[in-house]
Amino acid sequence: MDFVLQLLFQGVGIGAVYALVALGFVLIFRATNVVNFAQGEFSMVAAYLMVVFAVDLGWPYWLSFLIALGGMAVLGAVFNLGVYYPLRHRTYLPVIISTIGASILLANSTLALYGPQPQVLQGWFDTPGFDVGGVFLDSQYLLIIGVTIALVIFNYWFFEHTLLGKKLQATSQDKEMASLLGISVSTMIMITFVYSALLGGLAGILVAPILFVSIQMGGTIALKAFAATIIGGFGDVAGAIIGGLALGIIETFGAAYVSVPYKDGFAFLVLVAFLVFRPQGIFGERVAEKA
Amino acid sequence: MTFTRRQISAGLAAGIAMPAILRSAHAQGATIKVGMVLPVTGPAAEAGRYALTGAKIALDQVNKAGGVLGKQMEIVTEDDQTTNPGAVLAFSKLASQPDIVAFLGSIRSTQNHAMAQDILKTAKPVMFGGTDPKLTHMDNPWLFRCRPNDSYSGRVIAEFGIKTLGKKKWAIVHSTDAFGTAGGKALADALGASGATVALDQGYANQSQDFTPVVLAIKQSGADILGSYFTFENDLGIFARQLRQLGVTIPYVGSPSIVNVTAMKLAGPALYGTYGVADYAEDSSEGSKAFGKAYREVAKVAPDNQASWPFDAIHILAKAMNAAKTTDAKAVREAILAIKGHAGAEGEYNFDANGDGLHGYNIVKNEKGSIVFDKHIEFKS
Repeated sequence: MDFVLQLLFQGVGIGAVYALVALGFVLIFRATNVVNFAQGEFSMVAAYLMVVFAVDLGWPYWLSFLIALGGMAVLGAVFNLGVYYPLRHRTYLPVIISTIGASILLANSTLALYGPQPQVLQGWFDTPGFDVGGVFLDSQYLLIIGVTIALVIFNYWFFEHTLLGKKLQATSQDKEMASLLGISVSTMIMITFVYSALLGGLAGILVAPILFVSIQMGGTIALKAFAATIIGGFGDVAGAIIGGLALGIIETFGAAYVSVPYKDGFAFLVLVAFLVFRPQGIFGERVAEKA
Repeated sequence: MTFTRRQISAGLAAGIAMPAILRSAHAQGATIKVGMVLPVTGPAAEAGRYALTGAKIALDQVNKAGGVLGKQMEIVTEDDQTTNPGAVLAFSKLASQPDIVAFLGSIRSTQNHAMAQDILKTAKPVMFGGTDPKLTHMDNPWLFRCRPNDSYSGRVIAEFGIKTLGKKKWAIVHSTDAFGTAGGKALADALGASGATVALDQGYANQSQDFTPVVLAIKQSGADILGSYFTFENDLGIFARQLRQLGVTIPYVGSPSIVNVTAMKLAGPALYGTYGVADYAEDSSEGSKAFGKAYREVAKVAPDNQASWPFDAIHILAKAMNAAKTTDAKAVREAILAIKGHAGAEGEYNFDANGDGLHGYNIVKNEKGSIVFDKHIEFKS
C-alpha cells in the first residue's frame, strides 16, 4: 500500500507541474487560437532569474521570487508585442513558427548570458519533506500541489466572477463581438500573455529545486504539458489541470508496473489514443463543421 | 600574342591541377589542425567546457614544447548539440576540411557509434572518450580510446563491491543508451562471473524527471548494494536525491559520472559516502597530479574525466605525429598503437591492437564532497 501511495503522490506532484505549464498553453490558445511553443522557456527563464537574484546576488528568497515574477510579466508583454502582435492578422502557422523561433532565442540567449552549467536552486523549505506512514512527502511537491489547487480556485473565481475575467473569456470566444461590445481585444490579449508568462514562470520556479535549473528544463516540461493539454481538451482550463495530473499519474504507474525506460511512451500512447478516439480531449466539446 | 599547342596544353593541365595543388598546400599549412567534436549546447554543454579547457591546456603545453613537426598545433571545434545527429553533423563539417589531420570524438559512446561510419570513410585517427567496449571491437581502425572501457569498470565495480565491501546481492541501475546498456551488461557479467546475485537490473531513459519507480524497485528487490551507469549528471542528481529521500541507504558504487564535478554539485549530500570508479583521480599518479595543478591554474576549479581525456588525447596525437614524422593518417595510426608507458592524466597508456589505451580504473570515495583516492585496479587484458 505504501508503494502505491508513494507512486500516487509522486505522480500527482509531477502531474501538477505539467498542469501549471499546460494552463499557460490553454490560456494563450483560447485568446489567440495558436499554441505558444515558448511556454516551456518561460519556466526556464524564471528559474534562471531566481538563480540570479536568490543564489548569485544572495537576495531574500521571497524578494527574488517577486522580482522573477515581475520579470516574467515584462517578458510576457514583450513577447506579445514582439512575437504575436505583428502577426495577429496572419493565419495560425506564422504565429506558431514565430513562437518556436522565440523559444530558440530565449534558450540560446540564456545560454549565452548564463553559460551551460546546470544550477542548484534551494526550495522554499529547509526540510526536504515528511514521512507519513511510510510515504515520503517531498515538501516541494507538496507546495506544487498546493499552488495548483490554489490556482484552480483562483482561475474559477477570476474567469467566472470578475469583470476582467469575463472580458477575457468574451475575447477568447469571439474577438469581433467582444470588440463591438467595447472590449479592447489587444489589451485582453496582452493580459493573457502576461498571465501565461506568470504561470509558466511560477511552474519553473517551483520545479527548479527538484529538476535543477538548466537550459533544457523548459522543453522537457513543455512537451508533457502540451500532451496534457490535448488529453484534457485544448482550450479548457479544467482539462489542462486534469490532463496534467492524469499524465503524471499514468507515467509514474506505467514506469512502476510496466517499464521504466518506456515511461514517456505511456504518456504519448495515451496522447495518441485521445487524438484517435477523442480528439476533443476529456473536457473539450466536439466542433461540427457548418455546411 | 599567340600560344603554341604545347603552351595551351600546359596551361590547361596547370588549371586542372591547381585546385588539388592549392588543397595540398593548404593542408600543409602553417598549423597542424585537429578537429574536436564537443557539446557547446544541450544537456552536456557544461561537460563540453571542461573538455575544451583540458584540450587547450594540452595544446598550450605541446606548442610551448615546440609543437608538432615544427609547426604549432591548432584545435578546430564543432558543436555536437549533445545529440547523435548533432555529433554526425559536427564530424561531417570537420571531416570536410582536408587540412584537419586527426580528430577528438565524443565522451559519449552513443555519439561515437553515430559517427563511426563517417569516421571509417574519413580514414583519419579519432581519439574518443566513450566507454562502450564495442567501439574498439567493430573493425574500425581509426578509433582510439583515451579512457578505460566498461569491461574494466564493470569488473572493478564488482570486485570492489564483493571483495572490499563484502556485498553479494546487487541492484544495477543504468541508462538505456549505448553507454548505459553496455556498462550495465559489463557489470552484470562481472557479477555473474564472481558468483554474486543481480536482484534488479533496471534501465531508465535519459532526461527522466522522476526516479521514484526506480528507487522503489531497488527497495523492493532487497539488494544490499547498488551499482549504476548514469549518462547525464542531472539524471544522477535527481536519482541520488530521491534515493536518500525514500530511505535507500545501501552502499553505492557508481560509474565515473558519480564523481563528475557537475553531478556532485547537483546531488550535494545525497552522494556523500558513495564510491565511484574513476578513470581520472587526482591523487592516483604523478601525471594526474600535474594535470590537476595545471587545470586549477587555468579554470580555478578541480578537473574531472571530462577534461582529462581530451588533455591526454592531444598529447598522444602530438606524440604520435612527431614519432611518425608525418601527419599521414596510416603512419599516425601505427605510431598511436606503438605508444607504451605514456604517463597521462588518466593513467599510463599502453595501446593494444584494438585501440584501447588504458586497462584499469581507480576506486574513489565521496567524503563529504571531496573525492578521496582509494586504490587503482589494473587488468592485463
